Amino acid sequence: MPIGNAQPSVRPVPSGRTDGAAAEAGGRRRGAGSRHLRGGSRAERLAPYVLVAPAILIIVVLRLYPLLLGVNFSFTGDGERNGTTVGIDNYLELLDDSLFRTALGNVGLLVLLLPVAVAIPGLLATFIYLRVPGHRFYRSVYFFPAVLSPVIVGAIFNLLLAFDGPVNAVLGAVGISPVDWLGNPDVAMFVVVGVHIWATFGMALVVFLAGFATLDAALLDAARVDGASLVQVIRHVIIPGLSRTIAFVAVTTMVGMLTSMFGLLYVMTSGGPEGSTYLPEYYIWIQQGQMNRPALASAASTVLFVIMLVVGLLQVKLLRRAGGED
Amino acid sequence: MSRVRLSRWLLAIPMSLLALATIYPLLFTVNVAMKTRRDYILDRFALTDTLRWDNISTAWNSVGMDRYFVNSLIVVTSSVVLLLLLGSMAGFALSQLRFRGSSALFLGCLAGLFVPFQVIMVPLARIMADTALIDTYPGLVLVFVAQFLPFTVFLMTSYYKTIPREVIDAARIDGNSVYGVYRRIMLPLGTPALLSVGILNALFCWNDVLMSLVMMPSAEHRTLMVGVTSLRGQYSNDIPTFASGVLIAAIPVLVVYLFLQRQIADGVAAGSTKG
Repeated sequence: MPIGNAQPSVRPVPSGRTDGAAAEAGGRRRGAGSRHLRGGSRAERLAPYVLVAPAILIIVVLRLYPLLLGVNFSFTGDGERNGTTVGIDNYLELLDDSLFRTALGNVGLLVLLLPVAVAIPGLLATFIYLRVPGHRFYRSVYFFPAVLSPVIVGAIFNLLLAFDGPVNAVLGAVGISPVDWLGNPDVAMFVVVGVHIWATFGMALVVFLAGFATLDAALLDAARVDGASLVQVIRHVIIPGLSRTIAFVAVTTMVGMLTSMFGLLYVMTSGGPEGSTYLPEYYIWIQQGQMNRPALASAASTVLFVIMLVVGLLQVKLLRRAGGED
Repeated sequence: MSRVRLSRWLLAIPMSLLALATIYPLLFTVNVAMKTRRDYILDRFALTDTLRWDNISTAWNSVGMDRYFVNSLIVVTSSVVLLLLLGSMAGFALSQLRFRGSSALFLGCLAGLFVPFQVIMVPLARIMADTALIDTYPGLVLVFVAQFLPFTVFLMTSYYKTIPREVIDAARIDGNSVYGVYRRIMLPLGTPALLSVGILNALFCWNDVLMSLVMMPSAEHRTLMVGVTSLRGQYSNDIPTFASGVLIAAIPVLVVYLFLQRQIADGVAAGSTKG
């Protein structure tokens, strides 16, 4: 069903006659205000706009307009050059900044880890869908970290992963030397992404299960009657049948990794060690809040927005292709 | 058939291990929060022998968690009420009423979905500073509402689309104005969706850290999650108190999850399938 259609009337499909009746009834009850319903009184005709206006106003003023403002801002200077146009200087400075380059590199790492982040909840959802014993229990346990704030998750893992903390104590008990989980630049980013996946796979799991609900059960039964193995069922029935869901989860997971890891980074590593766990969102925050470089931060924001746009367009493309396969 | 059954039981092993890995970090934190510092240093893993609430009350009283808690409560409650009100109003109009420009307005709302806070952080902070809304409750509420409104409008619109037009027609024949239909029909009928979306929004707002950090710089207005981040520096030597602070921030969410799991999962699922 189309969302709206361009008819001048605000009335929800009434015919002329019932409309008149409504007008009369309305007139009786509330007096002059709604008497002219037949032609649609002024108040009634404006009603939909009045209902939508606050939402639209807030979204335009506090979401869409700032976007333009920010892009504009990214071409001006900071500090002494505040307000003057500096062309693409900020972008050149970004390219020159090793911290920002690390942040972009880490985005690349996230893209590489994306298949893992999608496959884990996908597989688990498959098992739950195939009614592994205790599937209801797993479902609610797996989902539970997804409701915790990244700050809380980060704080808990700070305890667990401290150098003299319990994880290393367990490793030590089996003879493995302790790992500096959050202090080793080669390891820290993987640890943070791992914790992020731990905290969010429940979300994707629920989305997958909603997708499974739309899957044709007859196909699965047929495959089972034919003696297909689990791997075959996954490859030939589940993946093609769920291509839309998989594409959706891939994109939302990617967006999640780009925009909701700030809390973890802030609590667990503060971007360190040696700036190895910077992501664009953390860089933006540092430049705007700590370094007092709002224009430079705006340039980084614009870069992040372009990355998100690419992800979004990819989504449209993937969904369309998946839709074509159905 | 028996082979299938066996393999299902085999799958249960990694799945239980994962369940343990999911739940253990929290249990560990609860256990630590109950210990004395000495107990923790001597043995991190041993189950606490008594339930000690000293750490919790220390974290609550002397760290300022009580004030942060109230701040969060004020901001989250106002944000959710506003979100549900504005979201359902817009959702009703966009799904059930015919008017010029409705699809453009719907797309305008959706466009907001593609602008994450990180991207507009700098100009938004400036707007808030220019309007003297920075570091005030209404300021953060507005930022929250702007952040989660597109999603709320989207979900309410798709929910209201499932309500048959006849229901609204009947209400109109009974003499209700458009606003009357909204108040007497759409709000009550929308309850399940409002509940789901409301809980999700409450979680998002309660759990947020970046927006609160940028929009509420002063300690006096700090929200609970920002408060948790400040614990880290203060209590790096007193792990049980630190764990208690974390627990205080987590408990409301855990309670909500225990009772309203279904609605939360439904909300997430609705957000995905309606797309």
